[in-house]
Amino acid sequence: MKVYFFATCLGGAVFSQTALNCIKLLQREGVEVVFKKDQTCCGQPSYNSGYYDQTRQIVLHNVRLFKEDYPVIVPSGSCVGMMAHDYLELFEGHKEYDEVKNFSLRVYELAEFLDKKLEVHYTDLGAPIKVTWHSNCHALRVSKVIESAKKIISQLSNVELVPLQREEECCGFGGTFAVKEPEISNAMVQEKIHDIESRQVEYILSADAGCLLNISGAMAKMRSKTKSMHFYDFLAQRVGLGA
Amino acid sequence: MTHTHTDHDYEQVIGEKLNDAQLRTNLRSAMDTLIHKRKDLLKERYPEWEQLRTMGQNAKLKVLSKLDSFVQQFEENATKNGFVVHYASTARDANEIIYNLAKERGVERILKGKSMASEEIGLNQYMKEKGIVAKETDLGELIIQLIDEHPVHIVVPAIHKNRHQVGKIFQEKLGAPLESEPEKLNGIARKHMRGEFEGFKMGISGVNFAIANEGAIWLVENEGNGRMTTTACDIHVAICGIEKMVESFEDASILNNLLCPSAVGVQITCYQNIITGPRQEGELDGPKEAHIILLDHNRSNILADEKYYRALSCIRCGTCLNHCPVYDKIGGHAYLATYPGPIGVVITPQLFGLDNYAHIANLCSLCGRCGEVCPVKIPLPELIRDLRAEKTHEGRGVVRGYKDTKHSKLEELGMKAFAKIASNGTLWRAVMALSGTFAPLGKLFGHYTPVLQKWLRYREMPKVQGNLHAKIKNLPGVIYE
Repeated sequence: MKVYFFATCLGGAVFSQTALNCIKLLQREGVEVVFKKDQTCCGQPSYNSGYYDQTRQIVLHNVRLFKEDYPVIVPSGSCVGMMAHDYLELFEGHKEYDEVKNFSLRVYELAEFLDKKLEVHYTDLGAPIKVTWHSNCHALRVSKVIESAKKIISQLSNVELVPLQREEECCGFGGTFAVKEPEISNAMVQEKIHDIESRQVEYILSADAGCLLNISGAMAKMRSKTKSMHFYDFLAQRVGLGA
Repeated sequence: MTHTHTDHDYEQVIGEKLNDAQLRTNLRSAMDTLIHKRKDLLKERYPEWEQLRTMGQNAKLKVLSKLDSFVQQFEENATKNGFVVHYASTARDANEIIYNLAKERGVERILKGKSMASEEIGLNQYMKEKGIVAKETDLGELIIQLIDEHPVHIVVPAIHKNRHQVGKIFQEKLGAPLESEPEKLNGIARKHMRGEFEGFKMGISGVNFAIANEGAIWLVENEGNGRMTTTACDIHVAICGIEKMVESFEDASILNNLLCPSAVGVQITCYQNIITGPRQEGELDGPKEAHIILLDHNRSNILADEKYYRALSCIRCGTCLNHCPVYDKIGGHAYLATYPGPIGVVITPQLFGLDNYAHIANLCSLCGRCGEVCPVKIPLPELIRDLRAEKTHEGRGVVRGYKDTKHSKLEELGMKAFAKIASNGTLWRAVMALSGTFAPLGKLFGHYTPVLQKWLRYREMPKVQGNLHAKIKNLPGVIYE
């Protein structure tokens, strides 16, 4: 099976190691990965700021770049929410609607694809560890893929998942929200970190680069002892893919 | 009453509220209680909540699709029942109708039940200027009226004050002994209120559901004071936004079943008042006159838009406020508007002009939780995003005042550049390579560039992991094309 891998803008700019681990997780299941070098961003920054006309250009770029009939695998529920759901809203009533729909129907979040399409069964190779989990808002409510990630964690026999009290509350990232309302955003992330620290775990995991950038950046500023890790880096380690 | 609220006004009030430790503690604890009560109740008693939501949504959308004919039907039936129905196109019209009713009858003091519509039109202030006292009877409204504040929440107006603070307010403003036990505080309020109730001739209430095929109004409350305003006075005046219309008692029952659990996590409130008109001949009590003011105040504009009209489904349960991660940090006053929280962000610019409330659309991280809990499934996050598109002139151009709304040119240039780069792979790679090379420089100069500066105020610079493309090319088995 051939799939496209869309690294996302943050995957390209900051989390490149994570992107590699994602590809390895796909290859491990015998999937052939195609990486389009002209890939960019899903368009959320401009879309969520209300620049709909600008965003449509980005959408069409993506739709036409990933033109073969392969699944498009994305390691972020937030970008999947955009590409599988919001793209359709943006093109409702436009002549390109069918073309966009044909693309949107092929977009999968990585955990969702591993769980539902490839039906993975992992053997945990790591030492016993306690972790907690932050659910990305759009992964939870728009693309609805959190269930798959949790199902995969439950296969890792040495991993104890301690739930957050406020797991389903926004961490305060919200894309440009974090810089438009920095004070409110900070109050939100502080509440999230307070919750994380009270769990007394080694790692806070999340499957979204934006949330992690926000949470880990604020934790570093506070000299927090809890470490953060992208879910796919963690998963790759647990199943022996290294890095 | 409408004036322009600047970015600076918002920054100032948000800073103030975020630093108010007492407010933060009170809000956090109150919102947690409301969230958990709702969640537990739905789990125990409402296995078919999702179906109920769909029924509620449909009941509302049915009426909104032909609102004019339902309003007409309501007017006809209400008039038959003995109500006097008035139409108010603007806030000022509504205030004038009430003032004239009072003046003609020599009324100088008005007894008020809880009503957000009365807040929206600025009734208390208007009456005060005309020399008429409007006295709040709802416990929460009484507390904030004593300290001259506006409601901080649409259902629980004094939720930002804890019982110790309420005790102090009663001590200072009512001369009561200092108490902090809820029962004692209720006792003080009750004693004060009972004295106030005597001698009022005119009572004002809101409306939860206006039932078109019966010409009746339905009022939901918990304290019995609302009932006092609608029954004990000679004249009852109900202020009713036109969107409160429902077709039948059956539809009102569905919505009531969604309202009480969503609002405060109970199946039903203590008092449910269904009013079918004034005192009839031979009856011993009830008002001698009953008036209903059907308030438009730009609701017709909202109704006219293909997407925004859904905001008129709102049953004012307030659960979107309770679940909002922004509202629970800054509280209702920081929105500088009658209606705070997600629904407030959506309707405030439409009622009072986007040019006056440009900043309010920023008070949302688009987390989507409001849409998830809304009992009538209003797509609040999408509507908030659409408001931002009204600001950038890339939306449908339908919200009042959008043309005169101030908007950052710098952001516009930035977003246009972003869209151009993100639609071109070669350009994108070039920019990414540059930002990788200059990442250490960014760290050095971050504090001097405005956007990064805001990010770095509370966060460290992310560790950049370097060139993705080079790594991918070297990864065996990947088709890099």
